[in-house]
Amino acid sequence: MMKNNKYRLLACLVVLSLVVTSCSDLEDYNVNDRNISEEQLEVDFQHVGSKYKPMFESIYQYTPAWSYQLQQNLNADVYSGYMTNPRPFVAGANNTTYNLVSGWNNFIWSVPYSNVIDNAKAIEELTKDEIPALNGVALILKVAGMHRVTDVFGPIVYTNFGDLENAGVYDSQEEVYNAFFTDLDTAVASLEANIDGEQFQAFDLSYGGNYASWIKLANSLRLRLAIRLSVVAPTTAQTEGEKALSNSYGLMVSNDDGFYVNSALDHPLSVIDNSWGDIRMNASMESILTGYGDARIGSLFNESPDYPGEYKGIRNGLPLQAGYADELEQKAAYIGLSNMNDAVKTSKVQLMTTAEVYFLKAEAGLRGWANAGDTQANYETGISMSFSQHGASGSAAYIADAVSTPADYVDPVNAANNIAAMSTITVAWNGADSNEMKLEKIITQKWIAMFPEGQEAWSEYRRTGYPKIFPVVSNQSAGTIDTDVQIRRIPFVDSELSTNPDGVSGAVTLLGGPDNGGTRLWWDTGSNF
Amino acid sequence: MKNNLLKKMFFAAIMLTSSVIFAQTVSGTVSDANGPLPGASIVVKGTENGTTTDFDGNYTLDNVSSEDTLVISFLGFITQEIVAGSQSVIDVVLEEDAENLDEVIVTALGIKKTRASITYAAQDIKADELNRVKQSNPINSLSGKVAGLSITKSASGVGGSVKVVLRGNSSIGNNQPLYVVDGIPLSNPTAGQPTNTFGDINGGNVDGGDALSLINPDDIESMTVLKGASASALYGSAGLNGVILITTKKGKAGSFKVDFSSNLTVDSPAYMMDFNSEAEDNIDGFLETGYTNINSLAISGGSEKAQTFFSYSNSFADGVMPTNSLKQHTISVRETAKLFNDKLTVNASVMASTQKIKNRPISGLYFNPLVGVYSFDSPGEKLRDYEIFEEYDPGRNIMAQRWFRGTSDIEQNPYWITNRNASEDINNKFLGSLNLGYEINDWLSLTARGTYDKSMFQFERKIYATTEATLAPANGRYIVTEQDITQLYGDFLVNINKQLSEKVSLNAIVGTSTTRTTNESFVGDSGTNGGLQFANVFSYQNFNGNPSVNFTQNSLESRTNSVFVSATVGYADMLFLDVTGRNDWSSTLPSENNSFFYPSVGLTGVISEMTDLGDKISFAKVRASYAEVGSGFLPDQINPNRPIIFGGGGVGQDPIRPFPGSTPKPERQKSFEIGTEWRFLNNRYGIDIGYYNTKTTDQYYAFATSVAVIGAPQAYLNSGEISNQGVEATIYATPIQNDDFSWTSTLNFATNKNEIVKIYDGQQLDGLIEPEFFTLSPKGVNTFGSYLVEGGSFGDIYAQVVRRDSNGYPVVDNGTVVMDDDNLVDGLTKVGNANPDFTLGWNNSFNYKNFTLDFLIDGKFGGETMSMTEAIVEGISNNSARETANANVTVVDLNGNQSTLTAQEYYGKVGGRNGFTGEYVYSATNVRLAEFALGYNFNLGDDSFFRRIKASVVGSNLFFFYKDAPHDPNVSLSTGNALQGVDVLGLPSSRSIGLNINLTF
Repeated sequence: MMKNNKYRLLACLVVLSLVVTSCSDLEDYNVNDRNISEEQLEVDFQHVGSKYKPMFESIYQYTPAWSYQLQQNLNADVYSGYMTNPRPFVAGANNTTYNLVSGWNNFIWSVPYSNVIDNAKAIEELTKDEIPALNGVALILKVAGMHRVTDVFGPIVYTNFGDLENAGVYDSQEEVYNAFFTDLDTAVASLEANIDGEQFQAFDLSYGGNYASWIKLANSLRLRLAIRLSVVAPTTAQTEGEKALSNSYGLMVSNDDGFYVNSALDHPLSVIDNSWGDIRMNASMESILTGYGDARIGSLFNESPDYPGEYKGIRNGLPLQAGYADELEQKAAYIGLSNMNDAVKTSKVQLMTTAEVYFLKAEAGLRGWANAGDTQANYETGISMSFSQHGASGSAAYIADAVSTPADYVDPVNAANNIAAMSTITVAWNGADSNEMKLEKIITQKWIAMFPEGQEAWSEYRRTGYPKIFPVVSNQSAGTIDTDVQIRRIPFVDSELSTNPDGVSGAVTLLGGPDNGGTRLWWDTGSNF
Repeated sequence: MKNNLLKKMFFAAIMLTSSVIFAQTVSGTVSDANGPLPGASIVVKGTENGTTTDFDGNYTLDNVSSEDTLVISFLGFITQEIVAGSQSVIDVVLEEDAENLDEVIVTALGIKKTRASITYAAQDIKADELNRVKQSNPINSLSGKVAGLSITKSASGVGGSVKVVLRGNSSIGNNQPLYVVDGIPLSNPTAGQPTNTFGDINGGNVDGGDALSLINPDDIESMTVLKGASASALYGSAGLNGVILITTKKGKAGSFKVDFSSNLTVDSPAYMMDFNSEAEDNIDGFLETGYTNINSLAISGGSEKAQTFFSYSNSFADGVMPTNSLKQHTISVRETAKLFNDKLTVNASVMASTQKIKNRPISGLYFNPLVGVYSFDSPGEKLRDYEIFEEYDPGRNIMAQRWFRGTSDIEQNPYWITNRNASEDINNKFLGSLNLGYEINDWLSLTARGTYDKSMFQFERKIYATTEATLAPANGRYIVTEQDITQLYGDFLVNINKQLSEKVSLNAIVGTSTTRTTNESFVGDSGTNGGLQFANVFSYQNFNGNPSVNFTQNSLESRTNSVFVSATVGYADMLFLDVTGRNDWSSTLPSENNSFFYPSVGLTGVISEMTDLGDKISFAKVRASYAEVGSGFLPDQINPNRPIIFGGGGVGQDPIRPFPGSTPKPERQKSFEIGTEWRFLNNRYGIDIGYYNTKTTDQYYAFATSVAVIGAPQAYLNSGEISNQGVEATIYATPIQNDDFSWTSTLNFATNKNEIVKIYDGQQLDGLIEPEFFTLSPKGVNTFGSYLVEGGSFGDIYAQVVRRDSNGYPVVDNGTVVMDDDNLVDGLTKVGNANPDFTLGWNNSFNYKNFTLDFLIDGKFGGETMSMTEAIVEGISNNSARETANANVTVVDLNGNQSTLTAQEYYGKVGGRNGFTGEYVYSATNVRLAEFALGYNFNLGDDSFFRRIKASVVGSNLFFFYKDAPHDPNVSLSTGNALQGVDVLGLPSSRSIGLNINLTF
């Protein structure tokens, strides 16, 4: 009898549960509540705040390290003359020998689009009207991230991003730069209007939420972009440059003003360098630093374990050389040359140094822009600022050195790669030098001071031709890239060709030349004055 | 209260039995030797007064006088006539009509129907045939025994999961059928399957196992395979890919019975590529002879009112891979009882199973000991010399890995991997169900059922310090994954079973059901970058709090509510019309599109009932049916939350979302089938042949999109069309049948043609253009891929192919092998398809006096398979037999000048995981002796303690009559859609020989 009662109870429960549960709302299911919804993100304004972190960490992508390797390390970091890969990937037929690997280069495009500009767009929609200062910071990060993209490809999707009306329509590089200046105008105005605001403190990975520092960055960035246009669009360049030079919050002044991302993640370069052994010092770095007896060399690089007491770099664009059975054998021969030092001991990614700003001011002065200050003083302050950034001593003697010139390069592994120094420029300022020589000095010193940020160094190399870095050993571009003129850009990426072909064909028209690595960008005029 | 009721009933019964001649009510049960028969007809002879039995074989008929004769009939059984007399309870056991043999088969929702009446293809397999040669995963026993059912074992050894496809692949999502136990859907989650040719750096290409491997094969009474959507439309979206119905054993009224069986097989690695003799010695020295021992005990018995079934089984196995072992225990209890004057039937059952697997074999290159085993070529040394796999490192004061050369991400000391990268799987399943049936009157009854079904999968890998740096950082690595899937199912059915007139019968069900599935998962992985504080301590408190550590919980819950109706109208046992309809409301779909309807209609004509076909034809029928089904989405697919990255990593990358502006809708499948079944010469010969055609549309693809337009590289959109059509035939025969000797034989044939009609519906959307292909298996950094391409078929294999001149010689220019770059898809060339053109399974049983002999020959014809194993071995070593033989390969240069390369040079150039894999594609055609069993039934006296003793010698996968590939093509690396038709260092398939003993007492 007990048993019967139990069964009856069970029967009732089954029927009841069916009737009751059938009425419940299906929309209550189907949500992974271990993850976070937009609504939950609104607490502490994380729905806005959490969107900055991927922007900060993807301008120069922290993780996964191989993503940064493809985003920048195996293109700009090598093309800039900073670093070289000891392993000749793809049997030596890769980006660095001008056999451009589209599968790699997709990351130059996709990383900032799916981490920087899309978050900037989302933040803009959430904050533009209510907390414009937060939008201002996002705009500065967007410009910092996207100018690197246009400086690689030329025309990009910028003003039409996320606009389904003009979906996928590329802007010319001129339009993109003009939009950058407008975005920086908006950013600076919104920050000035709320200068003591504390909204960004919880989300800031660079300046502790200090809006005045962000304005200094915006001004410095504006000066960088203005200088880039100084030949191709001198009027705009001067207007924008002078705007940057005259803003009441000023530019970066001390090393504390530099633009660094302080992430908890490991520096991606440390993974590529230390864990994988995939990147080493470039021969051009060796030539210039050792030639000048530059005291910063010890903080930038380590001595070669294979050649103790020496700093040894590797030539750009090494093919799979005779005598090596495969990539790994060749890598084994070069991995014992110099690797990075300070840069990979920190988790801070350096995006803009204060020293660079002094060199920008020096060039602005050279071009006669108002409020640029004394050209020689700015040049020399740039050098000493960089020395102090690296804790190096002897900057005064270095600044005064009118004798030392870049050294010839000797490949300790394969003498066929030996090459004579490309320049005889010295460090010491000489007011009697031609503007061209002065510019070479400024850019050469700026190049050292920007290390390891290869993207800006490659852009400035293309704009000015300085410093004179070694050409590739092997040019496998099938004639599209001149060995001595060196690579000018990266072709539009496969993912865009397949998903946005109309956009790309419009972009090629705007580019004004074939879509290959030999076509110069709009600001790349080939002359400096 | 209840005592009163019983008393009243008792008096009523006395009153009824004491009344004479007057009209009375007669009730009872109609059954056959196997149990109750639903739908049997009971008619008072010469009148239209009649009824049919309900779901449980019960009937009640009013107005029966004691002089009336009841005619009890059921298709396929000998009609009985019984004079009612004074009995009020008339139970009838019908005997099978030898002239018109026709079993009852279980169909969707557990509805029993006669074979003659069903309108679609279905095939039954009984327990003795399933367990003749026992497999630890009972589904493997179906291989070759059902036409149109493709079974692929996973290459993960004993306890591995199984891939089952009915009538071809139709979906880019799930192609596995639904499993139904005693009418109730079983949750059969597969806990993760490999997708990457290279392997998974996060613990290796692991087969997560499936729930089916946790079922005791001896608990199964029979399995019925419902092949097409017409048969399974009543299950809605879950039945999209067909249904396998499992009927479990239950206690039977009568005496107490004990069954014991024990099975021991010895498993030896048998089917692998040709190595040179040194390599072969090393491999033989490493791999071991395994054994599998399965024991089961079942006790059953009961009274007419209540029956009990209890079973316990255990399995112990040592794999052929050293240190690989399995332990499994399963317990089941089933209670059946009739209450309230037999009006209420209660079935309650509980099954619990636990399984522990150490070092489950994996495929791919990471964490796979076979890489080092196959490529070991240290001069003057044996692999065995490295069985001492570690040595003291004074620098770290640690025991460090020892190997003849520097380790790499893919190559470590194999003994180090099995001992110091060891894994353990613990899988558990619990299934509890309750089934209540209540009979309201002679034509109406109610059924309510519910199950609680829980599957738990745990995986752990402990990776010691000094494991290769790509796989684990300096202090080692600890990986744990857990998955806990719970399915709650309840349904409520109204069963109508009425003889509308003497000739017209109605069998109908109206019902509602609800399914709630929760899927809780956890991953704790200290990662490849500084995740552990102290070396070789494998616990969460030893994890560093950095974002490269993966601590992730996921919790998904979905709900489907349904109403359904099914009706079969029969006319004079010769014509049956079957109509079903079901509506699902699924929580996984967007709310504006979350309701969908599945109709099916079928018609069967029993020709042998309509007209006299003569003596030689005992039975003939034709059938046709049409169904439309659909499938929903994964939970959290439509509007997913954002992931959170552990260690202060913030919010992760946004998951893939529907294309902006689109509203996702369920995938649809339309299917049509026709068939006919004929039996001859007193049913000794028969043939069942059918044709089907299915079309699947609105697949939910993740399309590549422009990040510059929608800010994401992929978005979902409904598109595409995949068609499958095929023919299935089963021929069965009993060529010899006499007292001492009989021979029965069954031949199953199936062929399926799959076509990717289109992958894109032509939507003109900004940021998306017509994709050329859809990826099933990405090539990644290797040269194997599988793609859906318009005009191609599911399972197409793509490889990098060598260019050949008109004579077929490879073109080698300047020492570099030239690639054939015509018709490339994703940089690769189509070289074959993983699926066979047709399959043949030939199953034979001989009985001679006390001896039984059974064998199954399983053949797959057509199709291709790639041995990336061979490519890798030749790429990284010279251990293959043909590289060692002094053979030459003739090649030509670009100008057609011939020269020769040694085999070692040539295969060294084309080998490797990213080499010319087109050179490693073989025909997958194979014919094997899949099962063999020779048994003896001991003669037992009537007074013997034992009722039955049977001993058998059994063997499985004994040998191949024909095989081209260097591996067993019937084994797959994944039970998902990826990695089909390729072997990447999978565990070599085994030959098993053993002994089986069955005792009944």
